[in-house]
Amino acid sequence: MSEHNDVHHTTESSEPISRRKVLAWLTSMGILGSAIVTVFSNLVFIKPRATYGQPMRFSIGTPDEYPPGTRIALGNQKVAVIREGNKMAAISITCTHLGCIVGVADTGFACPCHGSRFDQDGNVTGGPAPKPLPWFELSMAPNGELEIDKSKEITAGKWFTV
Amino acid sequence: MVYRMSDNIQKKSVLSVLLGFPSAVWTSVFRNDLPHTDLGRSRTSFTNFFLHIHPVKVHKHTLRPWFTMGLGLISLFLFLTLTVTGVLLMFYYVPSTTQAYDRMLDLRGSVAFGVFLRNMHRWSAHGMVAVVFLHMCRVFFTGSYKKPREFNWVIGVLLFLLTLFLSFTGYLLPWDQLAFWAITVGTAIAGYAPVFGNEIRFLLLGDTTVGQEALLRFYVLHVAVLPLITTLLIAVHFWRIRKDGGMSRPAEADIVVSTEPTSKTVSAGAPVMAFAGADGINVIEKKRYGIQGLVRGPFTKVGNVPDNSVFSYPNLLLAELFVFILTILGVLLVSFFFNAPLEDPVNILHPPNPAKAPWYFLGLQEMVSYSAFWGGVGIPGLEVLILLALPYFDRGQKGIGVWFSRERLLANTLFMTFVFVNILLIIIGTFFRGQNWEFVSPF
Repeated sequence: MSEHNDVHHTTESSEPISRRKVLAWLTSMGILGSAIVTVFSNLVFIKPRATYGQPMRFSIGTPDEYPPGTRIALGNQKVAVIREGNKMAAISITCTHLGCIVGVADTGFACPCHGSRFDQDGNVTGGPAPKPLPWFELSMAPNGELEIDKSKEITAGKWFTV
Repeated sequence: MVYRMSDNIQKKSVLSVLLGFPSAVWTSVFRNDLPHTDLGRSRTSFTNFFLHIHPVKVHKHTLRPWFTMGLGLISLFLFLTLTVTGVLLMFYYVPSTTQAYDRMLDLRGSVAFGVFLRNMHRWSAHGMVAVVFLHMCRVFFTGSYKKPREFNWVIGVLLFLLTLFLSFTGYLLPWDQLAFWAITVGTAIAGYAPVFGNEIRFLLLGDTTVGQEALLRFYVLHVAVLPLITTLLIAVHFWRIRKDGGMSRPAEADIVVSTEPTSKTVSAGAPVMAFAGADGINVIEKKRYGIQGLVRGPFTKVGNVPDNSVFSYPNLLLAELFVFILTILGVLLVSFFFNAPLEDPVNILHPPNPAKAPWYFLGLQEMVSYSAFWGGVGIPGLEVLILLALPYFDRGQKGIGVWFSRERLLANTLFMTFVFVNILLIIIGTFFRGQNWEFVSPF
């Protein structure tokens, strides 16, 4: 008799959180969690682990190929190689505004897309570009060829002497 | 006649069974003859899969040509044209940086109607951007986004964005100069998005620069992902029109002054909705019937309230057919006289000067030329958020279903300003910008 009463009492006190509610809650959470995992794994899937573009570090040949006064754009690598006397530099020609390729002239750089202009060292002189064109590290490899490392930005005006 | 034949099949010969075969097949597919009665007209609408999207009856106000100007329908028909021409173009297109441009040239040289199909696809795309925008303007200026149609407005805004994304992903595919630089700029804008900007850009391009991966990704988005989402949202958009009570219309379109005593026309037990007129005297009642009332329309009005609706078959169908023919005719004419532009093949080192996006993105490009973040992300993002949230803030119930209602003067003026500023930016970007995006006079 008393045992029966105890059971009855337990059932009554747990009524606000019924078994049905708990199961419904667990099911909802399970479905929601699965959905989140699905979306996340799909995003991971479409994010490539390897890219097939240009390497960040590449050789551009010997210094003799760039006589003093050279300002030349390398299209595939998207850098301008500049030589003044025996000082050399590699400046990005990807516009810092929206990624167009800036034109290289003796007086500086100009972007045809939205009219950003840069001086000879890549500093912004006009237009919407928010930052100057970055300089990349230029070094001499043991075989006597120049190497540019686009993953390493250096401070503007830091010339490499050949 | 057909039914009589099938009734007698058991008594008749094998020959008559064979003779009855075609009509037996026909009646199994088309359950109704062409309707001549009201019952037939309603059956036609609700037993045909392709027609059941229509209500059996439609309000006369909905059919007024100058109320909707058919802009939503034109958008749909342009979308269908784009689907058909797009699928056809897919038979010849290869999403490869080395082949795509040559395939464009092949359309000119060695594919029957190749240029014409490409023209139709391109001009329909331009048309769809314009018409969807005009449709949005129509819905705003007639106050049609108000309760209970708020959510359908939200879906409409999403459909407008999808239209823009579809056209944006589409114009990378020819792999010409316009394509390449538009995508370079467009994805760079995405890179300015807060927090996840660079991740979004990397996911879109599949690489750090625009190349083969980007072309493939944009192709998949353009031919599969975005059209599927768009189709789904269009279906919801149409479904909501009916569930939200059809097209918006002014209250006057339904309210008719009652002169007789109302009690006579109301049968006992029927739900009655009575509205007090402006002068407090006129009372209108509506009686709702159950399923047996469907033949005369979903809401059968009793008594002296006249029926303001007409059968969708043929009234609405003919209106739609007219809009369809007009749309197709327009696309065909434009495609016949104007060739879709194809610029030089991609030259990674030399953006065209000036590098201009298609006209509908030139307003954005003009803004971007002042500030990449504010022009490309900040202001457009705010505009979209305001458009999405608009029906939940502008909750007044006046001036619904009327063009340029005086009671909505402030809202309409604000929206008109928004429209004009955007058009002005597009005009500046199109005609007043020359080399290096410098200000030039077109005159």
